[in-house]
Amino acid sequence: MKRIITGVGIVAVAGLLLSACSGTGQETDESTDTASSDLTYAVITHSGPGDAFWDRVKSGAEQAGEDYGVEITYNSDPDPAKQSQLIDNAVAQEVDGIVVSMANPDGVKSSVERAVDAGIPVVTINSGIERSAEFGAITHIGQSETVAGEAVGVELSEAGVTNALCVIQEAGNVGLEERCKAAASTFSGTMANLQVDGTNDAEVKATIKSKLQADATIDGVLTLGGQYAMDAVGAVDESGSAATVATFDLSDDVVSAISDGAILFAVDQQPYVQGFLGITAVHLRATNGNDVGGGQPVFSGPAFVTKANAADVAKYAANGTR
Amino acid sequence: MTTTDIVTIATRPRMERQPIRRLLARPEMGALVAALAVMIFFSVYTSNFMTLAGAGVWLESASTFGIMAVAVALLMIGGEFDLSAGVMTGFTALIVGVLTTNYGLNIWVAVVVSLAVALGVGALNGFIVMRTGLPSFIVTLGTFFVLAGIDLAVTKLITGQVSIQGMAKVPFYDTIQPLFGASIRIGGGVFYVSVLWWFLVTAIATWVLLRARAGNWIFAVGGALNSSRQVGVPIMKTKVGLFMTTAGAAWLVGMISLFRTSTVQANTGVGQEFIYIICAVVGGCLLTGGFGSAIGAALGALIYGMVFQGITFAQWDTNWLRTFLGAMLLLAVLLNHWVRTRAGGGR
Amino acid sequence: MSQITKTHDPIVAVKNIGKRYGAINALAGVTTEVRAGEVTCVLGDNGAGKSTFIKMLAGAHTPSEGEMLLDGEPVTFSSPRAALDAGIATVYQDLAVVPLMPVWRNFFLGSELTKGAGPFRRLDVKRMKTITYTELDNMGIDLRDVDQPIGTLSGGERQCVAIARAVYFGARVLILDEPTAALGVKQSGVVLRYIARARDRGLGVVFITHNPHHAYPVGDRFLLLNRGTSLGDYAKADITLGELTSLMAGGAELDSLAHELERSMGADSPVVKELEREAEALPEAAREELVPPTAS
Repeated sequence: MKRIITGVGIVAVAGLLLSACSGTGQETDESTDTASSDLTYAVITHSGPGDAFWDRVKSGAEQAGEDYGVEITYNSDPDPAKQSQLIDNAVAQEVDGIVVSMANPDGVKSSVERAVDAGIPVVTINSGIERSAEFGAITHIGQSETVAGEAVGVELSEAGVTNALCVIQEAGNVGLEERCKAAASTFSGTMANLQVDGTNDAEVKATIKSKLQADATIDGVLTLGGQYAMDAVGAVDESGSAATVATFDLSDDVVSAISDGAILFAVDQQPYVQGFLGITAVHLRATNGNDVGGGQPVFSGPAFVTKANAADVAKYAANGTR
Repeated sequence: MTTTDIVTIATRPRMERQPIRRLLARPEMGALVAALAVMIFFSVYTSNFMTLAGAGVWLESASTFGIMAVAVALLMIGGEFDLSAGVMTGFTALIVGVLTTNYGLNIWVAVVVSLAVALGVGALNGFIVMRTGLPSFIVTLGTFFVLAGIDLAVTKLITGQVSIQGMAKVPFYDTIQPLFGASIRIGGGVFYVSVLWWFLVTAIATWVLLRARAGNWIFAVGGALNSSRQVGVPIMKTKVGLFMTTAGAAWLVGMISLFRTSTVQANTGVGQEFIYIICAVVGGCLLTGGFGSAIGAALGALIYGMVFQGITFAQWDTNWLRTFLGAMLLLAVLLNHWVRTRAGGGR
Repeated sequence: MSQITKTHDPIVAVKNIGKRYGAINALAGVTTEVRAGEVTCVLGDNGAGKSTFIKMLAGAHTPSEGEMLLDGEPVTFSSPRAALDAGIATVYQDLAVVPLMPVWRNFFLGSELTKGAGPFRRLDVKRMKTITYTELDNMGIDLRDVDQPIGTLSGGERQCVAIARAVYFGARVLILDEPTAALGVKQSGVVLRYIARARDRGLGVVFITHNPHHAYPVGDRFLLLNRGTSLGDYAKADITLGELTSLMAGGAELDSLAHELERSMGADSPVVKELEREAEALPEAAREELVPPTAS
């Protein structure tokens, strides 16, 4: 949060200076963009279309771009082969830096390495923490799924949950599997995985509902994305189950559901930070030769959102930045 | 629209000795014009599209779509659909991945086993469609879901993960990788061997369609099934063969994707089947069967690849990606249709 | 092929054949013959049993009674393919053509000519086009472009292509299923000319129709069917167009129609007189069978 405020401060100062120079107030914003540099950074993620989480990453990256006066392009594809093509595309465009998420590191390995070989600064975000350095990225910005998952397992145990579901919304995402595995490892009760189709919320809700109805002993539902937590809340409601819902990642609705007590807690890896810091790290390399992280990953989370701090978080969530 | 197409084609006046007009009446002609239009647009609009580096990207993007689109076009000319074509690309790659990383099977053997299984599923698709008379749309939709479920469940069950890891460490990986995943650097561009596969598949399919007996039969079973039966065309053989061809192409694309990235996910290929059909239709295939071309489908895939990557090159806001893509494709189809009606109608 | 002249032995002869589907008698007691260089017309209204009859000839159905002779030898066709191999080709109403495919591809569909061997076995396009052109020319159709989709030809021309195809592939007997049914007057005339031409080339033609005016000019024999039974099998010399028309319309129906019209128009009306004359002209045998006692 502090960083955003700092960022806003920088742009405010820069804007003041520039407008003082040019003297034409009207075009201040545009001239800020073009005057400071003509650098272009590409953000390439493994997100599917219309995903609330990745929209926050995108917002963070775009805000950073605006703050630093650089051009940001954002592209995504969940298929590693197509994500690789997007990386190749960015290299062909001779961008000045690439921020990439690696849900399936092997899948994008050759393209990331080629970008590094071409002398383009690369920062990995969100997932792929363990391969980031190997591929030649400056650093990785994200949360350790293991650390976050283990923390969730402990929290759930403390809440008295004994039989939990871990809802996986995307087949083939290694990170999601890790979260469930890590949560199960520290959880005192039993935890089973439930595979759902994340592109169809109604379907997600129905599947969770059926599962709750089929097994009345389930007293906890752990979802791995903000929007799926809302599906789980609906499913718990409709099935008349008393299961506690907890989730990875935030959304506006999740925050208000936490305030209302419908969701116990959310563990936030702060996607906005991943986007913002991702761009910041490549920008610092491109303009100042810095090595952010010094060869180590930079953690963007986890941050727990509970009833206690939900009200504070709510105003940022409404902006689509948390 | 397809009814109009048939009428347009069927009522086309005699094209006597007019080679140019006959050329224009080829099903792929519209797609060629549309492809050129898209290519010129992005070449002018962006600075990196028409460079070696840029061409490498959009050719690779088009190549895997193209291989499938050509096979799907043959199937569509034969009057059938295959909705399992997309998921089949993941299915075949997963077979190789699981057999080698988990069971230590020789990679060459695994690749052949995977092909055999794919052909088997294709044959099964065709056999069910022909025996029951159910629409292939429904039958292959069933296969699609069955395979998608197997992809996830079996992969998870056997490997404990949802994607294949450690593929590159499999013995002899390096002996087979170049066949499907090799790339060469020309100038600043990286060109993948998949582009060659794409050209090869297109060339063979075109030759078969226009110069082999099987091609005659494909057009016939798609154009008028009953008539074909009456004159003794081997319907069963032709249609089952087509389904097997599509499955075989899916295997090829599966291998290309596997050896390009050295990994495969349980959800690979899901949802791609419609893109193949779109490419085939943009390339001049009738949804009702009996008309179309392999070159057209390849051009349809080229259009798709160029638009897909061109939008990225143009740095347009990718929230609108699908809208741009849809509008571009619609324009391509309209242009295609216009060229075809022009060529056919004449007056 | 055109050297073949009329022979006295029929190629195909059927004796009292019939077909039952369970308890339903689709067709019974049909006797006729097909000779080389002759046209045997099968006439009847809808539901008369015409299609059952041709399906038996073409090998799609096996007769449940009676006898079929091919060149004097009893024969049973197990499939349409078997009938085809015996030289009996059928041109169905849908003509078995693929509208979007070029004429030459349609002509050779299912029996393509190839050259080369192994994986390089390919269509002999040039030869197939030449043969298609020549064969159509022989039938009197001049298609300058055999590359046009067959769907662009007129109905009559398409019939001609189908006939020419059957002739080229060695048919001795050609069964034409209602070739003029969907055609206008002019196009029907065109098709009749091709039927005559096929006959002149020495083929035995079975021409199925419900229109006596189409049948009479080209026919040599006339088999009349009504509601699953035969009304008789006449050589051309034994029947006039008028008689044929009356038989087709059905003597009883004509009589009762005449009576009805008599009441409304008066017995002296020329229309009634005409109808009575037609009923009168019916051959004896047919009249006895057809006309119920009360009607006369």
